[in-house]
Amino acid sequence: MTRALTIGTGLLLAAVLGMGAYLYSLRRNEQARAQNLPDTRPISAPVMGPASRVTLYLAYDDPGVVRAQEASIALPADPAERGREILHTLVGEYVKRPSAHELPAGADVKDVFLVDANTAVVDTTEALAEGHRSGVFVETLTVASLVKTLTANLPGITRVKILVDGKERETLAGHADLECFYDVVTMEQLLEQLR
Amino acid sequence: MPWSKYRRRSQGAAAVAALLLVLLASAPSAEEKQLSIYGPRVSYSLPVSEHEGQDYVALLEALEPFGNVSARAEGAKWKLRFNRLEAEFRQGTSVGKVAGQKFGLPGRFVLENGRGLVPLRALPAILGLMLATRTEYHEAGRRLFLGGVATHFTTDPRENGLRLNFSAPVNPLIGTEPGKLKMSFTRDAVVANASILKLENPLVSSITFSESNGEAELVVLGRVPLLAQFAADRKAIEIVPAPSEAQSAPPAAIAGTALPAAAPGTALPAVGTLPAAVAVPPPPTLQSLTAKPAFVVMLDAGHGGDDRGALLNETLEEKGVTLAFARRLRSELQGHGISVVMSRDADVTVAVEQRAAMADAARVAVYLSLHAASQGPGVRVYTALINSASSKPGGFVPWDTAQARYVLSSRALAELVKAELLKHEIPSSQLSAPVKPLNNVAAAALAIEVAPSGADVGSVSAGVYQQRIAAAIAEAVVVGRARVEAER
Repeated sequence: MTRALTIGTGLLLAAVLGMGAYLYSLRRNEQARAQNLPDTRPISAPVMGPASRVTLYLAYDDPGVVRAQEASIALPADPAERGREILHTLVGEYVKRPSAHELPAGADVKDVFLVDANTAVVDTTEALAEGHRSGVFVETLTVASLVKTLTANLPGITRVKILVDGKERETLAGHADLECFYDVVTMEQLLEQLR
Repeated sequence: MPWSKYRRRSQGAAAVAALLLVLLASAPSAEEKQLSIYGPRVSYSLPVSEHEGQDYVALLEALEPFGNVSARAEGAKWKLRFNRLEAEFRQGTSVGKVAGQKFGLPGRFVLENGRGLVPLRALPAILGLMLATRTEYHEAGRRLFLGGVATHFTTDPRENGLRLNFSAPVNPLIGTEPGKLKMSFTRDAVVANASILKLENPLVSSITFSESNGEAELVVLGRVPLLAQFAADRKAIEIVPAPSEAQSAPPAAIAGTALPAAAPGTALPAVGTLPAAVAVPPPPTLQSLTAKPAFVVMLDAGHGGDDRGALLNETLEEKGVTLAFARRLRSELQGHGISVVMSRDADVTVAVEQRAAMADAARVAVYLSLHAASQGPGVRVYTALINSASSKPGGFVPWDTAQARYVLSSRALAELVKAELLKHEIPSSQLSAPVKPLNNVAAAALAIEVAPSGADVGSVSAGVYQQRIAAAIAEAVVVGRARVEAER
């Protein structure tokens, strides 16, 4: 091998290694930049409408309370869709980890139907009930949070029924009654005790 | 709506099934055999069943109050683990193993719905081996004494009566019949050296002692109408002549019915101030016999069978914890002279609506739905989330709002349970909640959720912890009985 060939091969190898190192550093920088950006991916189809202030009634397992919290979310004009979007935001808080009142992955509100001027029917995903922790207290917190959040943000709604995947279910996870209609007056008794 | 139709149909079927179950369950209590076990720290009763002409008891239930016990059936084989000891039997055979030793049973081992039943005559020896203690069995009275425990009594004639002194506090049921004062001891290890004691006393001619069906009974034969009064420490009972006006007072109970003594520390604060029995009542009238149904508490051990309830930790299922707790609570209530029916007494599936239908068909006075949770602390007591204003007058009670008429009574009872739990230093809270099937029960109805006292989830199944809770709840029922009765 001539001297010139040896030098040429060495330079080529050095260039390859240099390029590799440069590409590696570019990749790392890009990853670091991406991590510092806010996560703007939508968790569901984007909703068209102006941002509105709503009150979410969030459950906290410890110390076992339901507390009001303001939130600003884009809401559609249709009341039933508004209800769905508000509950979707509420359940999203419970699906996040960590959460003060964890609900399973896949838990969500599929639809809200306004049967008449006073009655709403909430249809949840099967995952919400199937993966829900079993217990009188944890189930009660979930029901109270859903019902109070909906009735507080949809004026005139005084009765709420909860379905699971479009069907009636006896209990949420073995304890909380899902066959009844929840009314605002009796729910207020419970919330008074959970404040 | 289609689901309403379906539900009504299933409710109807459930009600019929429940009625049949209740009719079976509410057979005369005199025919229900029981065994009483007296230990140094705990006394309790167990139901006795008959197989092939012999008396049998469930071994797991017999050991439950003494520590961690679990059992599993593998085909015909049944294994029990108590602390570090094991027992093993096979269905249909009379030879097994107890604490590493070969053990012969006086009858065949019975496996029934996953429960291992042993002949009653073998139980003293099995408990002796598992608990490493001395046992003494009074076969005729079905009373088993562990570790040499016994409560003796002596008589002490007084100027105006007779005093019975006991070596330990006692809490008998006291009833009267013409010329007699009867004291029944279910939870007290009362024993006597003789079956009859003749007395030269102006009030009392003799005292007889007998044992039967897990109870000891002292019958005081009087020369005049008698009254019994407790001392505050419950270690003495004064027998005094009944005041003459007591004879004309309205009867507090139908003749021959035992009257429960008041709960310790609740209704007897002072020495000799409150009679624990009434003087001889007049014969029962038709009105008194047809008035209210008896005061019965229904214990509904949550879940069971296919429905395991919550998984409290890797191995602990809610259905097992609730059943063990229901049995303890049954024993406590019966110790206070209160009749109890259970929605289930084995690992079987019972539909939620069927439980309410059973309570309504049996016309129980109090319904307690028992649950367990992994997150505490302590005990949460729930009443139905229902408005009392929705109660409607009329002969028929709407299924969905059956609780409305009773919810105030339920809340009052819940407050008492909470207060008694706090007295026993058990954290507790009370709230309304949409617990199934409280809304469908036409009686004072509570759901009780037992959670661990601290961080250890396993403590929720600990015998001592459950016993304390059961004692507190039973005392609350005793204290609240009058109000519940008044509002039925």
